[in-house]
Amino acid sequence: MTKVNTVLGTIPAEELEIVAVHEHIGYGMPGSELDTTWWKSPEQAYEETVPKLRKFRENGGGTFVDATGICNGRDVDYYKSLSAKTGVHIVACTGFVGGDTALPHFSRATVDYLAKVFIHEITVGIGNTGAKAGVIKVGVSRGGRMTDLDRRIYRAAARAAVVTGAPILTHLAIDPEPAVTIFNEEGLSLDRVLFGHADDGLNAPITPHDWIYEQGGRIGFDTFGYDLELPDPPFWGRKRAERMEHFVNLVNKGYADKLLVSADANCSPLGWPGVKGHTINYIFEDMIPDMRTAGIDDATIKLLLEDNPAEFLSLQA
Amino acid sequence: MSHTPPVAAGDTFHAPTGQTVNTVLGPIPASELGVVAVHEALLSVIPGAQYAPDISMDRTEIFEILAGKLAGFREHGGRTIVDSTGMFHGRDVKLYEALSRSTGVHIVASTGMGPEEMLGGYFLTPQTNPPTPWPAGKFADLFSKEVTEGMVVPRVERRGAAGLVTTTAARTGMTPTEESLFRGAARTSLKTGIPVSIRFGADALHDLDIVLDEELPADRVLVGGLDRKDADSAALGVAGRGAFVGIDNVGLNDHAGYLTDHDRAELVLGLVKAGHADKIILSGNSIGVAKGQPDYDLPFSHVVSTFVPFLKAHGLSDEDARRILVDNPRNLLTVR
Ligand SMILES: [Zn+2]
Repeated sequence: MTKVNTVLGTIPAEELEIVAVHEHIGYGMPGSELDTTWWKSPEQAYEETVPKLRKFRENGGGTFVDATGICNGRDVDYYKSLSAKTGVHIVACTGFVGGDTALPHFSRATVDYLAKVFIHEITVGIGNTGAKAGVIKVGVSRGGRMTDLDRRIYRAAARAAVVTGAPILTHLAIDPEPAVTIFNEEGLSLDRVLFGHADDGLNAPITPHDWIYEQGGRIGFDTFGYDLELPDPPFWGRKRAERMEHFVNLVNKGYADKLLVSADANCSPLGWPGVKGHTINYIFEDMIPDMRTAGIDDATIKLLLEDNPAEFLSLQA
Repeated sequence: MSHTPPVAAGDTFHAPTGQTVNTVLGPIPASELGVVAVHEALLSVIPGAQYAPDISMDRTEIFEILAGKLAGFREHGGRTIVDSTGMFHGRDVKLYEALSRSTGVHIVASTGMGPEEMLGGYFLTPQTNPPTPWPAGKFADLFSKEVTEGMVVPRVERRGAAGLVTTTAARTGMTPTEESLFRGAARTSLKTGIPVSIRFGADALHDLDIVLDEELPADRVLVGGLDRKDADSAALGVAGRGAFVGIDNVGLNDHAGYLTDHDRAELVLGLVKAGHADKIILSGNSIGVAKGQPDYDLPFSHVVSTFVPFLKAHGLSDEDARRILVDNPRNLLTVR
């Protein structure tokens, strides 16, 4: 039996339907909660979020994986209410977006302690919510190289993944050699790891896609929609056609079984303005039509959006 | 649960009328402060510990412990306690309001942050390219609004005005971001009238000079930690510049890095002799409830019930004792 942890309980992977594998209900850097610039009333937050999830559902979306780390405004009770009222499965994560988003209690901690935290959140639950995390988030701190703290978090995540069978999502796929070494040392199969943000404008040129594939890792084209054609694109934006061309190139090389796609959009950002005009529904409104135009067939699209994520998200303990 | 209103402190405490101090229940006349513990922590949470599965954040338990400790402080003559942990180290304004209403102890809460190691990534690696840490002006704005608009309950609401802005430098020496924090704290004080409390890093006079460089009058500044052994003789220098001298680890007698109470007493009496009785601030740096760090269970009343009697036995006059316990904190905390 395949099992996936969602915020409303563990479900069979057969129920997932179309999956957006790297998204955010709302993301903010730790400390942004102190700055009223970004505060939103609950009325506003629901108003910005519910229609996007409803549309995602209407478009055929089934499951939303929230990749917001422990200290980044992760709010599991809120996710539970959104999931219950919209019918979208929401998978919450344990872990950290990067070492630079782990607050001092965690940034000072040992690998052993961090692994215990992750395992607890996957097997017992997150805080008092009763909800179990379904994925583990790790990432590379700003600066382009894995820091000592990043490495401790990766190692703890690897141990938690081995014990619980939960998969790992990375923020950034740059500097992957130390990560792969850690995963190998901890005995984690690399097909349990999604090396994410391999497609963004800033990092794609310095991400070794072929090498990651050769090691057996999964590759995340999970910033679809952060296009430079937007009126106010973020610094990690990329030309729409260039991203798709890059993607098609990897599909044509035969990488499709290891590719995962998502939009990394915020339904209602917490500690930054967000990117106007970019939502999770880019997947249906732009990405899938672009893929079809580029000659990717429906079977491959189903593989990318349903089969690969179902296999990836299933707990493999 | 009793709901004793905060009491007026009695007729020996004189302050000009019209002057106020910001408490969590609103501004009060400075003359009502009474005996003050200036450098203490009520609920002290290492940032992030609130999310840890092995750490309980049971509010009833936290309230009960703090209420008991504040009642003990009050029984020994304490009237006002300052939570000097800043805005990102477990501060819980609504809990402090309830505690003040329940125990009758005035509670002054603080804004500010530091050292850099304790900051969230929002201030250190913001989502900009490059990720430039916050400058002084932005910290000044963030802290000032905690006075002019009220202290934040994160993402929910603002409450009463902060009564103090606090920051700290790294023991290895002030970092560039910490210099921004110190300058931001100084500008907050200039703009809002609340005092600044700094805990120095490697060099007390250097760190004090950073806030003075913002043209903040020295008598608006408390320099804490001057009973650290590595403070050397900075206490005299700090008093000489006109700032308040924080001898604020009173009761800590078994730490290699700090003076013992015996040596602290000598330091205090020496400062009095040198004419600086009006600059001395004593406190215990105790922690009411600690999360993510070891407990430090020194009673909030230790200074008033144990250390000051010890000082008196060694020659401190009643007048200077009152100055240190009542007048100096009042002068520091009065909004100007
Ligand atoms: Zn993301």
